[in-house]
Amino acid sequence: MAEQLLDQVRDVFEGQIDFEGQKLVENLVNISLSVVGAIAFLVGYFLQDIKLAVYIGLAGTAATFLLTVPPWPIYNKNPVKWLPVAGTAPPTNIVIDENMLP
Amino acid sequence: MYSSLVRLQNTFGFFTTVAFVVALLISASDFLSDRTPTVHVLKTTQLSTVLGRADYYSSKKEEYAVIKFTLDADLSSLFTWNTKQVFAYVTAEWPSAAQGNNATNQAVIWDTIITAPSSDHLGNFSPSKLKRLRKSANGKGIDPSRGKLQIKNQRLKYPLTHPTGKLAQTKDVRLKLHYNVQPWVGFLSWNQAQDWGKWKALKNGLSKKFTLPAVKVKEQAKKKTTTGGAKA
Repeated sequence: MAEQLLDQVRDVFEGQIDFEGQKLVENLVNISLSVVGAIAFLVGYFLQDIKLAVYIGLAGTAATFLLTVPPWPIYNKNPVKWLPVAGTAPPTNIVIDENMLP
Repeated sequence: MYSSLVRLQNTFGFFTTVAFVVALLISASDFLSDRTPTVHVLKTTQLSTVLGRADYYSSKKEEYAVIKFTLDADLSSLFTWNTKQVFAYVTAEWPSAAQGNNATNQAVIWDTIITAPSSDHLGNFSPSKLKRLRKSANGKGIDPSRGKLQIKNQRLKYPLTHPTGKLAQTKDVRLKLHYNVQPWVGFLSWNQAQDWGKWKALKNGLSKKFTLPAVKVKEQAKKKTTTGGAKA
């Protein structure tokens, strides 16, 4: 029971996502941070308010963190399909110390 | 991008890049705004020279210039969204008697810090002055009207003397206004000698030449009595 719980906690903390999800996250980070930077500069320049630019930049960055860091379900839509495990029965004909195992 | 920790690191790494680029753009945006600082009036209203000592224990009597001046300048164009504060200062300048290494004497006689509303909270102001500044800014990020300096009969903020102790009857003294723009991001910039793109040189920043008067006789009489007292 306790081990199961620990496993769950570790899964949440590690937050693994699949390969398609990793590609998506990479693009999302690059695009959203660039857009946030551009908006922060343009709004600040045209309203002539540097504090506003800083706050827009920081808020946008926080939103990007929230969007990309947790393992949201959309990043796990394409899980890797592993081949089925071959041979579930224990192997036979194993020789150890010249004695055939029963 | 496999685990949360990697995503955290990559996102933060790209954030630092974006922040740096935005800071570069902000500092470059300064070149797009006009700078047309102008001095309307810079003149002395009172001149005298007195004898004094640098401190109580100093035995050396030095000549100090006592100047009052009037300044009417418009530095409002220096205030943009990237201006944190402007440091304005007035110097007295006069050519050296001995030609050589120190061809020009220059001494700051007065200065002031003009904060932009975005940096009011950083200034070392009294609560009442901070309140007044906030009220005048009216919630805006910039307040160019603070750049309009109107000072009448201002006394020296710093004593004006010379290492030789001789200052009376100095000729060709001029007052000069300087400024230093301190941005939130980017380079410091000072008053320019010539135009540079949209940044124009400070107009009319020099006062007329004047000569410091001779030392007042009354001060010398006082000196005799004090030396007499010391001997007794």
